[in-house]
Formats: sequence, C-alpha cells, structure tokens
Amino acid sequence: MTADRITSDESEGFFNDFIDDQLKDKVEEIINEGDLDRIDSDNADLIVEVDDIEPPTLVYGDEQEGGGGGAGSGEPGDEKGKLKFEIPFEKFMELVAEKLRLPDLSKEGKGKIKELTYHYKTFGPVGVLLDKKRTFKRAIRTSVGMGTYNPDEGRYDVEIRKKDRRFKVPQREETPKFRAVVFYIGDISYSTFGERLILEKRLLNFIHHWLDFNYGKNNVEHRFFVHDAEAYEVSPEQFYQVSNIGGTQAAPAFDLISNIAFNEYDPATTNFYAFYVGDGELFGNDAKDIVKIMQDELQPIFNRFGFIEIQPSRMSCLNETVAKAFGSDKVVRTTALKSKKEIVQVIKQLFEVK
Amino acid sequence: MRNIRTDAELQHLAERVEYFAGDVFNMQLPEMRFFILDPMEFAALLEKSVYPTSPINIWEGKRIANKKHRIKSGQESSLYYEVVQTGNPSYAYLNETNSALTQASVMAHVAGHCEFSELNVLHDSDMDRTEYVMYLVRKTDLARKQMGERRYLDYWNACESVLPFIAPNSQYNLENAIDQESTVSRGSFVDEEDADEAVQPLSLVSDTMTSLLNFEEPKKKFIDEEKKRDRSEALSRRGYTLRAPCQDILGFLRHYAPTSQSEKSVLDYLYVAHQHQDFVIRTQIMNEGWAMYWEKKIMMELFAEDSVRGAIDYSKVFSGVCYPRPWFQRNPYHLGYHMWLHIEELYKEGKMSLDYHEEVDNEARRLWEKPESVDTHAHMRHLVKSVTDYEFLRRFLTPELVEKFHLNRLDPRMAQQIGVTQEDVYKADKHWIWLNPEPVVDEMLKFFTHFYRPRIYIIDSDYLDGGLLLMHRDDGRGLKAEWIRPAIMNFSRIWKSPVYLLSKDKLYRASAGGYKELSVKAVLFEEVVERMRKQQTPFKSI
Repeated sequence: MTADRITSDESEGFFNDFIDDQLKDKVEEIINEGDLDRIDSDNADLIVEVDDIEPPTLVYGDEQEGGGGGAGSGEPGDEKGKLKFEIPFEKFMELVAEKLRLPDLSKEGKGKIKELTYHYKTFGPVGVLLDKKRTFKRAIRTSVGMGTYNPDEGRYDVEIRKKDRRFKVPQREETPKFRAVVFYIGDISYSTFGERLILEKRLLNFIHHWLDFNYGKNNVEHRFFVHDAEAYEVSPEQFYQVSNIGGTQAAPAFDLISNIAFNEYDPATTNFYAFYVGDGELFGNDAKDIVKIMQDELQPIFNRFGFIEIQPSRMSCLNETVAKAFGSDKVVRTTALKSKKEIVQVIKQLFEVK
Repeated sequence: MRNIRTDAELQHLAERVEYFAGDVFNMQLPEMRFFILDPMEFAALLEKSVYPTSPINIWEGKRIANKKHRIKSGQESSLYYEVVQTGNPSYAYLNETNSALTQASVMAHVAGHCEFSELNVLHDSDMDRTEYVMYLVRKTDLARKQMGERRYLDYWNACESVLPFIAPNSQYNLENAIDQESTVSRGSFVDEEDADEAVQPLSLVSDTMTSLLNFEEPKKKFIDEEKKRDRSEALSRRGYTLRAPCQDILGFLRHYAPTSQSEKSVLDYLYVAHQHQDFVIRTQIMNEGWAMYWEKKIMMELFAEDSVRGAIDYSKVFSGVCYPRPWFQRNPYHLGYHMWLHIEELYKEGKMSLDYHEEVDNEARRLWEKPESVDTHAHMRHLVKSVTDYEFLRRFLTPELVEKFHLNRLDPRMAQQIGVTQEDVYKADKHWIWLNPEPVVDEMLKFFTHFYRPRIYIIDSDYLDGGLLLMHRDDGRGLKAEWIRPAIMNFSRIWKSPVYLLSKDKLYRASAGGYKELSVKAVLFEEVVERMRKQQTPFKSI
C-alpha cells in the first residue's frame, strides 16, 4: 500500500469548482447579510451555507432526509437541506472581484516600489559562498586527468586548485511591492447607533478586507479617525463606540489626514485610500473647506476618496457639495447607503473604474 | 499515515493483542496491518469507504468540506473509535490522538471484526481487497482522463443514483436471478397442473375432428411456445437471461449495461468499494457484538499482565459504547454483546442441548444446569458460520431478553415524540416507561426485509424492445416523487436505453427522448416472480 497521506483534498477541490456558480450567486448575499466581521483572525475561513445537493435516488417519499435534486440530473434543488462548509477568505474575495467586476487595485498607478531579493541560481569562479559539491566534482575530474587520483594504481590524492573552485553567485531579482494606507473618517456627532452603525460597520469591514486582499494583509495600514467639532485618531474598536452630542465640523479631520499623509508616508510610494462616513449634515462653510482641502492636497495623491452618507436626511449636504466640485472624478466618489441591500451597489460605486 | 512499527509502544501492544487473540483464544485471524492516522486523515478515510485512496468525485468533496466545518465548529468529534477494512490482509487504522489504552481496545476490537469476517456465513473476507480497490481507483483515474471531466462527472453522478442498490447477498442477487451462457440454466418452472397442459408438439397431421374441437388451442400454444423460444433465444443474443427479479441493480448494470472501458472502470470501482456494506448491514449486530465480546476478553488479559493500565477508564468507555437503546435506535454494540454473552451462558448451562429442548417441565427447565463438556467458543463460532442477524435474532431474542436488554424502555419525552399512548405503556417508573416486549422482536426482524430502503428490482431487461424495467415492491409506502424522474433518468444514462419504473399503479419511463408517467394496473411482486419462473413476460401493460 503506497498512500503517504490519506486526503480528500482533490475531491474537495473538485467540489469547490462545482459549487463556484452557486457561490457566485451567494456573493451579494454574503456581503449584505453575512458575518464578514468575524474573519479578522489570521487565515480565517468564511463559513458558507448553500442548498444541499444529494444524488437523486429512489427513496421513500415520507423520509425527511435529503435535500435538493442532484448534480448532473438537471433537476433544481429544493429548500429542505442546507450544506455548510468553509471557503478560504482569498477564494471568497476572488469570487467577489469576479462577481462585482471590481478592479485589481494593486495595479493602480501610484505607490509602486520594487522589492529586491537575491537568489543563488548561477555559479562562477569568484564569489563569497563556495559551492563545495561543485568544487569537489571539478577537483576530482582534474585530479583524474592529472593522474594524481587513480584507485587502480593506489593513488588517492585529490588536489583542489584555485581554478577548480566554484562559488554561488547571487542573482538580483526585482519584484513589485505595493503598500497602502487607508483612512477611515467617521462623524461621531450624529446618532450612529442601531441600523446606522450596523450599515457603517458592514461597509467598512468589507472595504477593510477588500484592500487587505488586494495589497496583502501586511502591506495595508488601516487608520481610524473621528470628528465632532475636532478630529482625533482612535483605535478600530473605539471607532464604532465613541459618540458625542454637539457641534460638527468635519474639515479638521481632512486637515489631519492630509498632515499625516504628507508627513508620515512617502506619497510617491504609497497608495492612499480614504472613506468618510457620516450623515452628511454639515454646517456653515465646512463642506466648502473640505472641498478646498481635497482639491489642494488630497485628490492629487489619493487613489480613492469615498464620501458615504449613511441614511442621509434632507439636511445632508456634503455629498452634494463634493459632487458639484468633482463631478465624475476618478478619485473622488460620493454615494449614499440607505439599507443593507444597497451595500453591494455602494461598493461598486466606490471601486469601479471610470 | 504511518505504519505502527514507527511507534514502539503501539507495536508492542499490537503484538500482545495478536498473541492473546491467536495463541490464547484460538481466533482465526487474517494478517492484520495497523496504521496510525491523524484526525483529518481519519475523516478522509471514512469518506473513502475505508480505503486509503478513491477517485476524485464531488460527493466525497462535499462530505469532507461539510465534515471539516463540523469538526472545526465542534459539532462533530474527530476522535473516531475504530475503523477497519476487513479481508486478508485487513487494514485497521488507529487515531494518533487516542491514548494507549484506547488504541489497545481498538486493536482488540479489530481482532473480533477480522475473525467475524473470516468465519461468517456470507464469506465476507477476500484476498487483497484494499489492494484491489486501490488498483480500481487508478483505473478510474485513468478513465477520468480518457472521458474528460464533464463526461466523467456526468457518468459518476448517474452512478450515484444506483449506488444504494447493491445487494450481493440478497435472495434476488445476480447469481439467483440470472442465467448466463457460462452457467447451467435451472430451466423453467412447470407446475404439476401445468404439466398436463404441457404443450404438445405441433402436429403436422391435421384431422377434421381435432380442428373442430381445438380450433384456437394449437394457435395459442404455438404462440406461447414461440414467445418462450424468443425469450430463451435472448440468452444467446445477449449472453444472459433473467429468470427472477434482480435486486443487485448496480451489479447487473456493471456486467450487462453497454459501457465503454472507462465507464466500466467507474462502475467496477463503485461496486467493489461498496459491495461489502451489504454484508455489514446484514450482520451488524452479530459482528459488533462479536468484536465487543473479544475486545473485552483480550483487554482483561492485557490488564492482567499490566500491558495497559486504566481498567476503570476502560470500563466507563465500554459501558458507554454498550449503553442500551430502544429497539428502533438499534445499538448493535449493546445488543450484539449481550446476545453473545447470553448464548455463551446457554451453552455453558447445557441449554442448547436436545434434552433441554425436550424437557416439558417448566420448573426443571428453569433450574436447568447441566454443563456439557463442549468448547463453548467452538459452538459460538459455528453460529457465526451459519447465520446472519435475522436468524440470530429470530432464534435467540425472546421477549424476556427484550426486557432484560431494555430494548422496550423509553425516555418519557421520546415516548411522547413518537406518539406512545397510555394504553401502550406496559409499566412505568419515575424515569422510564416500558412497552410490551412481545411485538418488539417482530419489529426488529422487519428491518431485515427492507433495511429502511424501498425494494427495487430489475424484472425485465428487454422491456418494449431493449428497455430496462424496474419494479418497486409495494410495502405501503410511496417513493419520493420529485426524485423519481432524475433518478431513473440517471439509470437510463447508464443503461443507454429507456428505463421504466413500475411503482404501484404508475409506470414511469425515462429515455434520452424525455420522461413520461403512465397509469397502469398495479401488479403484485409475487405474480411477477411467478411469471418469471414460468418464463413468461413479467409485466405487459402498454
């Protein structure tokens, strides 16, 4: 018996391929309804529930077991059985990209730097790391040729000469590396609780995972800011917890991230993203100040800047002012999120290529 | 997966178990090979019908994906007790996360299964079973490449519909249902009364009186004879003929469906890898009981010589495994183990003797204790060699034992769920209610007539010119309506001609051209059997 490891991986892969179509149909449902915030831990998989499939066969009609009609039978599944399994987060994000037709962000222009690595693939007569095996082989060959090594005549001298030495030569390899920083800005002066908070969390969670997927988890820095009349940087947990009743002034938050972007990062090698969430109810010249900061400082260096009004009211004016100033800009996007069903639409508006 | 030789402690235990099983208890064992698996390998092994490899298929993939989720989320334990593929050699798998005590008990249990497989009346044990299945897996993998993914997937899925219909040990198996060119035909059945009416050779001489008296007869007889001849000619055309209904449907299709080499490989693998389940289901109570019986005996020896420690832990596990369940939940470990103990007791007390059976005095029977100088184990092994679960229960499970083994005992909540009324209650205490033990034996025996599955038979393989006619033997329960169509479409995919299913008063037809349902006159299974015995058309309705 010659099975080294007993595994069903190949069949599982076969099943995953088979189920891909069902999963694609589930993508929007998972984003809108699923628990995406549970996959924060490393290598966490996504638990997916789909209609069960069973090979149709002749069974008693009053049996309660079994689910839908079978594969290959051309029969649709019914709703009785459910099948739960886990898919890797990466796989889910690939499906999201395919289904929502989202672009590969890492290929976007700015912030491209090179990562240098060295691999020892070739060998030469000079260098630092001696390749002992190759050197010894050459030395034997030379010694045989010179007659110093001849077991038939009892001579066993292997002479290692300088020109027999072979060294490992490092080869320089350049691979592109991408780094990104994401600023999340929240208005804590408006009543962010209940459904509003859920919507905000769900959307920002998706954005968080989507950017992690595109740039690699370790290459993305997520920073959270809140504002009432002033702006502060907070932890991710605090971002959804702090609230304040009082005046609102959003422009200081934009000032703050502008300072951070220019002072803490190299704009030439960093991909900047920012997403503002709030009710959009700003007063006085606040919205105009924001537009000015955007035009003068942020829009030129950012890959994407999204303004999302969560359940806006008649008094919401931020998006209107920003949209008037930037029109159909490639970087600045404005959108409103009124209910869970619109999350996928909002994601498309924020990330689609114009 | 690693060989047990990589673990000195387990290897030593295995040697001690084999010593006690073989040398002390004279168990007839095949070569037993033990391997150590990690929990996920164990899970995969179970999805592969306890063979180390299997061809790629989505159903195994589905089950393992679901199982991984259940194990990760704590809904299912990855600690499996014992898994063995019997045969010679037998392959037994140990879970590396188990303690030495558990591993020893698993090995002792496996010894019981292996001996049962060697001795049983159904001749389960065969040579190189695992190796043969691995060879078929390689053939099927090659078939996948030859067929292409899509066709392979389609064909495999079609076969899955037939997979539950493997019955090599049925009364209506291939051997009893089919005459082949290579086997001697048992001929047709002719009743005594029919014998008088046996067909006279067609007379070439005609006289007026005979013609007047028997005007229709010669013609009818001639036609009947012609039909019989046609049917027997089918044997020479197709190489086989059905003389009785065939319940081993996948076995039939494997031999007689028109297939390419690749398709044959898929059918061969599925049949061979699953055929032993029929043996398992027909002998589960005896088999598990036998394994528990010897497990305990061997473990007692191991404890006595101090090869393993933890007798109290072991007894807790043992009593958990052998916990009594009501008859409809069938705990074969519990029932089988206690039945074997009871039978051992009967032999020891001489209650299996002719004298005891002929004793008419009840008091004398009650006090009977006339030990005979017999080898009790030899008698028990003789039973293994002679009967399956059905006969085992029919012969030994009495209403007294039903009560003693708590097979008629229910938790009150469960009783309420299954609709037990106050009139059904035989006795009750604070924690349990007891039902009348008398009908329990019959209820348990009923299981062996259908195994909780509808009974489907092939009754004609040339129905309406090449169609395969299946019959659902009516037992009062209907088939799941929405699955009939896809299921028989899949049967038809393998048979490559129309497939018909007769169920009650409906005839379902599936072919490449479509699907139809027709109303027909219901026919009894016994009538069909009778007609087939007489080499008549089993069913003709359209």
